[in-house]
Amino acid sequence: MTADDEERRAWFRREILPLEPRLLAYARKFCRDGEADPEDLVHDAFTRVIACKTWREITNPAAFASRTLRNVAFDGLRRRKVLTITAVADFELIGGMDETPGPEATLVSRDELRQLREAISELPTQCRRVFTLRKVYSLSPGEIAVRMGLSVSTVEKHLIKGLRYCSEKLGRAGATQPVRIDEGRSWAGKRDRDAKR
Amino acid sequence: MGREAGSRREAVRAAAAEWAVRLSDPACASDVRAAFEAWRAESFEHEAAFEREHAAWERTERLRAFKPGGLASGAKPDADLLAPEDAPRRAFDRRSPWTMMAALAAVAGVVGTGVMTATASTAYATDIGERRVVVLADNSRIELNTDSKVVVRYRGGVREVKLVKGEALFEAAADARPFVVKARDARIATTGGELSVRLGAENAAVTVRRGAAQVEPDGDGPARETKVAAGTAMVYGPGGSHAQPLSDAEIDRALAWRQGAIALNGQSLSQAVAEFNRYNRRKVRIADPSIADLRLAGYFQSTEPMAFVTAVTHTFPVRVSEGEDGVIRLARKG
Repeated sequence: MTADDEERRAWFRREILPLEPRLLAYARKFCRDGEADPEDLVHDAFTRVIACKTWREITNPAAFASRTLRNVAFDGLRRRKVLTITAVADFELIGGMDETPGPEATLVSRDELRQLREAISELPTQCRRVFTLRKVYSLSPGEIAVRMGLSVSTVEKHLIKGLRYCSEKLGRAGATQPVRIDEGRSWAGKRDRDAKR
Repeated sequence: MGREAGSRREAVRAAAAEWAVRLSDPACASDVRAAFEAWRAESFEHEAAFEREHAAWERTERLRAFKPGGLASGAKPDADLLAPEDAPRRAFDRRSPWTMMAALAAVAGVVGTGVMTATASTAYATDIGERRVVVLADNSRIELNTDSKVVVRYRGGVREVKLVKGEALFEAAADARPFVVKARDARIATTGGELSVRLGAENAAVTVRRGAAQVEPDGDGPARETKVAAGTAMVYGPGGSHAQPLSDAEIDRALAWRQGAIALNGQSLSQAVAEFNRYNRRKVRIADPSIADLRLAGYFQSTEPMAFVTAVTHTFPVRVSEGEDGVIRLARKG
């Protein structure tokens, strides 16, 4: 059972997490009226996807993740007290996520180091120093605490802050790249096609 | 509702990041590991958030590539190895006496003359379509929107930032020293809070998101201070000033640029086009005044003018043509 859980998590890491920038771009389309937060949609979609016990049967993880995100958005829409025309109209118009790997997939490895370096340089001074000692020089939190005259828990706080900054940055990477808006394709047609597959 | 969800998301991600950091510590005790397993088993939300933070933590391992090679193992690690590189000083606007002084001060700072060092200043700028986050020594943050420039000068008792061009969001860390943004002949002071300032052709707009700010004319005019509370936008310029309250949703829309987006909610086509042109070298023009007042709503990628144009031509009787100069022209159909 535990080994099975570990395999499920490994699948999530391998197939789903790298989709985050594209899912975020897709999620933005459901948030045009400003009533929902695209990051929340992605967060909730991740929660649903990782819960999927039948993950082994999923042949197209990107299609599965984008469908899940759409369901999350739709559930949010149903819970709203006031429905705006735009929200409903948007929902009818938005097609599926572009499932062909975008240019970001190939750019990731080349750009990642540059992005990370940039993210680290944007951290507050003390946080940046702690993070540098931990990640570039592989010092342990205990060693960093001694070297910098801080408590271990302060070192941990800096590391958590640095990590949060990097994970948000990496999650958004590439999301500002061109997103194909495919207004012509209706979701109904798309869903039928998926069902047949 | 969305706001509550956002803070819940942040809380879960922060907890997940804490576990990722603690578990990676070689000194991590087995009871920490057990406590983590219990936390993760609480919900799929925890499980997914942990995978996300842990993956990012693993990806930052690549930073080891920056470790200087060939050093003996006893060599002292350089904690400032990844400090920000020097800001481009060439970006100074030489016509303005204020920036000239700042430039002189910066040069003097390098040379190291006593009094001037304290007023050394640094310029940060963005190109068209670019965004940039600057974290200052006191943990204050500046987010620069497209085609913008600020000059930061921390003197003895004042944290001063001049907005020279464009638009920026300022997050002033709480501090005894006031945080002052100078923009278009006014001083905007806060003791800690979040505000955005945007320079227009003649006017400037201040939007306070958190905390409060005092706006006063900079210079010899009569001392006249206006307090701007959180959730308020104030526009000032040669013709005077006026303030109006904004809802959270309106403020979020005005700050959609932080997500690389433009959020329209009833703006005219001409306003929307002007907005897109701020972010792109490829310009859009309205060739037909009769369509300039069409009203639009929607959320668009700021660097994707064609997606916007397509949405417009699908919704309104507008046709698009593209000249040899690459300019996208909009006119009435038929």
